[in-house]
This record gives sequence, structure tokens and C-alpha cells, in this order.
Amino acid sequence: MISSQERRSTSERNILLWVGLVIVGASLVLAVLGEALAPYSPVMPTGNISEPPSGQHWFGTDATGLDIFSRVISAPRTDVAIALAAAALSLLAGSLIGLVAGFYRGFLSELIMRISDVIQSFPVFILAMILVALSGRSTFNLVLALAFLYTPIFIRLTRAEVLSQRSRTYVQSARAIGASELRISFRHVLPNSLAPALIQASVVIGWGILLTAGLSFIGAGVRPPTPEWGLMISKGANSIILGEWWPSVFPGLAISLTVFGYAAVGNALERAYK
Amino acid sequence: MADSLLDVRDLVVTFPTRRSEVRVVDGLSFSLESGEIAGIVGESGAGKSTAVLAMLGLVRHGGTIAGGEVLFGGRDLLSLPREELRHVRGSQIAMITQNPRQSLHPMLKIGRQISTAYRSHNQATRRGGMRKAVSMLEMVGINDAERRVTAFPHELSGGMAQRTLIAMALSSNPRLLVADEPTSGLDVTIQAQVLDEMWDTVQQTGSAVLIVTQDLGIIANYCDRVLVVEKGRNIEDAPTRKFFRTPEQDYSRRILSLQRQERLPEPEEGHGSRQPLISVRRLGKEYVLESGEVLTAVSGIDFDIYRGRTLGMVGESGSGKTTVGMTLLRLTEPTEGEVLVDAEPIGALPLSAFRSYRSRLQIVFQDPFDALNPRWSVHRLLREPLDLHTKLTASEKQERLDEIMDMVGLPAALGTVTTRQLSAGQQQRVSIGRALITDPDFVVLDEPTSALPPAARAEIMTLLAELQRNLGIAYLYISHDLTTVEYLCHDVAVMYLSQIVEHGTRSQVFEDPQHPYSRALLASHLFQAPDHRRIDREIRETLTGEIPSPVDLPTGCYLASRCPEVVPECHTRPQELETLEDGRKIRCWRVSEGHLVWPEEA
Repeated sequence: MISSQERRSTSERNILLWVGLVIVGASLVLAVLGEALAPYSPVMPTGNISEPPSGQHWFGTDATGLDIFSRVISAPRTDVAIALAAAALSLLAGSLIGLVAGFYRGFLSELIMRISDVIQSFPVFILAMILVALSGRSTFNLVLALAFLYTPIFIRLTRAEVLSQRSRTYVQSARAIGASELRISFRHVLPNSLAPALIQASVVIGWGILLTAGLSFIGAGVRPPTPEWGLMISKGANSIILGEWWPSVFPGLAISLTVFGYAAVGNALERAYK
Repeated sequence: MADSLLDVRDLVVTFPTRRSEVRVVDGLSFSLESGEIAGIVGESGAGKSTAVLAMLGLVRHGGTIAGGEVLFGGRDLLSLPREELRHVRGSQIAMITQNPRQSLHPMLKIGRQISTAYRSHNQATRRGGMRKAVSMLEMVGINDAERRVTAFPHELSGGMAQRTLIAMALSSNPRLLVADEPTSGLDVTIQAQVLDEMWDTVQQTGSAVLIVTQDLGIIANYCDRVLVVEKGRNIEDAPTRKFFRTPEQDYSRRILSLQRQERLPEPEEGHGSRQPLISVRRLGKEYVLESGEVLTAVSGIDFDIYRGRTLGMVGESGSGKTTVGMTLLRLTEPTEGEVLVDAEPIGALPLSAFRSYRSRLQIVFQDPFDALNPRWSVHRLLREPLDLHTKLTASEKQERLDEIMDMVGLPAALGTVTTRQLSAGQQQRVSIGRALITDPDFVVLDEPTSALPPAARAEIMTLLAELQRNLGIAYLYISHDLTTVEYLCHDVAVMYLSQIVEHGTRSQVFEDPQHPYSRALLASHLFQAPDHRRIDREIRETLTGEIPSPVDLPTGCYLASRCPEVVPECHTRPQELETLEDGRKIRCWRVSEGHLVWPEEA
């Protein structure tokens, strides 16, 4: 039974979900096809240096003559791909470790949770910087560092759900028909405990994009001239003082829009689940 | 008709749906006289609660009272101005809901809450209100009311919270009391106490009462008239006795069916020579709490169960019934004693070796929805035991699946759906099928019907009896519902506070109970027989107070603090389970030594 007011807010939520889905869809399409759709090569200078947006260069060109529009739509191949891989990796590791921590309580469970506490008590950005600095600047290491940072989130979410699921009667019922603990945990409890982590994954992808761009901005992420939003902002920042706003504003908008899209989808899923 | 206290005509309540609207109450009409006690029965979702709320001009969020009149003392409540209606509601019509604790303000002392309710409809000082609160609490049978008025709701037990609500509702002498499932969630002995108190009180005040319930026992024992509601309209309106004797509607016949069935035939005697299937010896289970205190859930339990027979285990919640069932299947490990299956002790086996026994010893749980993996289809749920215990081929498994679904009465078309799409009764059939698919010798039935609506309950009981007859399974039937126990069980063990206090055949326990607790339990049970109403009995055997904590067990008899027959020695003398001449076992020294002889039942 819903009142008219609740109905209105439901449809507002639906709009948010759809906007989010369009953004997420676009980011995925561009991650695959971005470079092919770009009017210019994202890494070859065009010869037109620091031109403002025009019909020829929609977002203008930067100080080395690269076409900003082409670079903005090619960047998802780096940003979105890194964030996706990191989120998938941490979701996989986190939900399995969370299952163990929730289902088999005891010393191991305590140890896992305390380690999670330690990881989560560091400022994410600083820890990411340190990890990349220690392991070397490469896309692969970046993915590993992000996955390491986000795993505790999924451990916590999965563990909390496992704790509530394991006291449900169907677990006792499986035990009563002779299922082993391994079978109960993987076949019965895990599938029923994944929903919160899956929902959170969308939000974590958004964070991953932000962190990748942030690390690249300070020079700890991907190397130039790879088309990457954080790098582009960093490069454009030098020329803002000259009144050339376009090299950094367009990639900045791209980051905001993408992160917003993933967060909106995550929020909508979370509400639908509750 | 003109001078009826309450006259409801063509009441309609609608709720909007996505496309149109649904008429939850759809043309309900009836009248109620002063001093009359009427019961409204019907399945959940039939619109009972919505209808009684609408009579008070109330409707849940989103709904609309779309038509009809509610004449109360000649005035139409639905067209009264808000303020006037509010006044009528507290002072002349009072309401008691289920979930008493949620209906009390958690941060105010109960005396103040009763006093506030009273003073908002009556001229009284603060002190006068408090005095009223004390006298009302006394009237509903709360001991030590002077001290209890200063209690907060969380300090009360469920039974006391419900009594407090009744006291509050009756404080302004309402002409009509509406009670929506007033005792759901209370134990039988407490339920009888609360309803007796309510009945006695309205006899004094002359109020009319409208009880909404699914429990036909309450109807049979306390109501003068029955209204049967289906899909928002009353389909039957009859005096209670007539309703039980000659129900007119199919629905009424269906919910009455269990009670009409013959008891199962008494099994042949002389089973003593055969070996019991399950033997339990000195079984005990203690839990050490975080505080270091020891909670005794089960102690000194002995019994045998034979093939093809049912042992009923009855007792109030917290008496340890379920723990006994769990230890038989090693779902929890006992801390003392042993369980033998075919004279083979199973406690010493490592759990991995015990797993092969699992196909022979099965269990059906109370809440079927919780007991079935919500993501799995019916077929997958039923197939799991076969995957674990047999080496059948896929087609043989499918054959067995079809056979078992037919056996438990599930249409083959339901094989692919998940349990969410099934009714509670169908879910319980899946649970039963899952337990039976490996052909077990013994099944623990842990309150298998208490989460089901009355019609489904009757069907499941019939099914269980039929399966036992055809397959020769032994059951341990755990329940607090004596009607179903009497229907299904050959032997009955009465549990109180972790112990068996009486154990005998069904007729011994039901027709001639000897232990004071068994007698009180049976007297408290509201059997669905309007000719033997509890309130008509001269002595209503009841226990005083409530079940003691299993953490701090008394040294003498565990019942001593509540027993109507207590003598000083009971408090110090530990009780043993003694066998009487007629073969039953009893844990009361006064009965076994012949000090306590009950009068013949009139």
C-alpha cells in the first residue's frame, strides 16, 4: 500500500536508476570502442596547439596538440577497466574470505577481521600510493593495489550476511539431511549471502575510477601519454592560469559523471533489495 | 435491531493497487448486543483486522473506508467529526492488539500509561488516576499491583504486558472491547489466565467483546457467537454451539475438520517384547552462558520410541522439547546421557560416520519457509537428500521425486517453482517430502503445524497420520497444541522446565492426568468443544505465576513455586520419575506415594 507521495519518490528513484544505467552502459561501450569512435588518435598530436573548443575539436586541444574529446572518450579503456578488474577481484576474494570468517567462527575469523580493521584504518589514498610505490608503476600493480584496498569492504558485507544466514533453519535442515559443512557453506549459505556485496560492487567501481584518476593525477598511476582522465587534468592544470580551462574541465566532468552513474545504480539496487 | 449496541452495515475498505484497487473489506454487516461476546474467524488476509480497525474509523496507510455505516449506540461513527470519534474510541470502545509490548510506550511506567488513558476520558486527579491503575491491574490478576505500577514495559513478561493493555482498555468502562488476536504468542497456561481474567472482568462490567482470532479453541470457550469472514465479507454468522455442530459453509467445515476426525486407533498392545527403535537414557543438555551461569535445557530424560508409533512431547515454550529433538539427531550434542538407535549408541560415532544415519533419522521444522533454501526450486530441494545418500541415476531420482511429490500431495507442476511462491501449507509439504524421500525409520516433527493457518494445519495432520500408517515410520511429535497431540500420538510425555513430569499412553495422560502440571496444562488448553467450556467449570485448575528461569533451578520440585497442591516438603525434596501401577511414569512424590488422589472427573 503506497501513498501518492511515496509513489512519486519511487518514480524519481527510477529516473535516477535509468540515468545511472545509461552512464554505466556508455562507460562500458567506450571502454571497448572508445578509441575506435574517436575522431583523432588520442596519442598523436594534431598540430593545433591549445585551441579552445570548436566544430573541429569539440573539447579543444591541449598544450601538446592532442584532441581532448578523443582522449576523454578513449580514457574509459584505462579508468573503467582498472576499476572493474579491481572490483571483480576484491569481490571474489572478499566474499570467499567473508564466508570463511562468518561461517567458521573462531581464531581465524578474528584474525581476518582484525587485519581488515588495520587495512581500513589507513587513509585509502595514502595506502594506495605506498602500495604502488613499493610494487612499481604498472596497470597490473594498480589493479592489485585497488583490489587489496577494497577487499575488506566485501569481507565485512559478506560476513555480516553469512552470520544472519547461518542461523536460518535451512542450514540446520541441510545438516539434518547429512550435508557436509563445506557443502552447506558453499551451496546453501554463500549464494544466499552475496546480494549485499554484489550491490556494493557498483559503488566500488565508482570509487576505483576516482582513485585511479587521483593516483595518475599525482603521478603515481598510469604513465603519459596514455589517455587517462587524471593525467589529463594534471596536464591541463598548468594552463588553467592562462585561462585555458578546457584541457582539465572536460575530463573532470567525465569523472564526476561516471562516478555518479555507478553510485546511482548501486543506490537503486540497494533500495530494491531492501 | 434498533437498539443493538453496534450495527455494522455494508462496510467497505479499499486499498489502491498499481492498476485499480482491492476491496479488502467488501460489504461486511453484523450487529452486536450489549454483554455479548462474539468471535471473528477467517484465514489470514481475509480482512478481519482491517474490518475491526475500520469500525473504529481507523485504516492503515493508503486505505480508504469506501462505504458503509457503523452505528454505535445509534450514531454513525464514520460520519462523526474527528474529535468526537476520538473521544468515543477511548472511552466507549477500547481496543487490544496483538503484540502487547509494542503497544505500550517503552519509556513510561505502566501505571502512568493506564492513568493517562483513564484521565483523558474521565475527570480525575493524578492520584486518582494512579489509584485506578492499581485497582485495574488487580482486577486483571496482576499480583502485587502496588509495586507493578512503577514497572517499565520491558520489565514485564508477554502475559503481563497483555494484561496491562487489557487493564488500560477497560479502565474507562467501555461498552465495547475489540480484541485482535489478544493471546497469540502466549503460552497456553498464560493464555487461559489472561482470557479468564478478561472474561470475568467483562462479566462484571457488562461490556460487549469482539474477538478476532484464528484459534477455534478461544471461540469455543469464550464466545457466544461466531462470524466467519472470507474475502472481506461475513459468510456465516451463527451461535457458537451451532457453528461447531452444523457449520454451513465449506470454509467453516474445513477449519473444523481436524476436530471431527476419529482419533487414530490405539495400536496393538504387547510391543514390550520388541526392541525400541530409539532409546534415550538420562539425556541432559546444559549451556554455559557468557556470565558463567549454567542453563539447564534438558535433564534426566528417558524414553523409548517403537516402530510405527508416535510419542508426543508437550510443554510450554522453554521447557526443552525442541532441544530433546535436536539432540536425537545430533544437531546439538548432549552434555550427558546417550541416544541409542536399534540399541546402537550413536553419540560415540564421529560426526562423519554418523552422516550415514541421517537418511534414517529425519526432522520436519516448525517454520517451513525458514527451513527451505529460498533460492532453490522444489525439485532441487527434494533431490538434495538423494544426491547425498543414494547412487541413483538421474532418471531414477526423477521417478522418486515424482513419487514423493504425489505422496505428500504436491501437484507435479510445482516442481520448478521456488518456495516463495508456495503457500505455507505447501511449503510444509515440501519439508515433509524432503524428510521422507530417503525412507527414514524415524522423524522428529518439531511443531510442524504451529506456523500454519487452521485449514492447512488440519490437512498436514491428516497427511502425517496417513504417511505413518502406510510407511510405518516412528514419530517424535513436539507440540504445545494438545488438540493435534491428541489426534496423532500414541504416547505422551509432558515436559516442564527441562524434565519429563509425566509419561504415559494417550488415554492415561489425556483422560486421567496425575501430575499437577499435566492437569493444569490440560485444563488450560482450549479444546474446540463448546459444550465443555473452561469458564463453565467450577474449579479452573491453573498455575499461578510464570515458568521459572532455567538458569537458577530450584532444589526441590521444579513446579513448587506454581503448584496449587504444594506442601513445604516439595520445596526441598528432589523429585524422581517413578513408575506407577498402571505403567505410566510420574515425577511427583505426593502422587507416587499416594498422598494426592484426584477426584473422579464428573
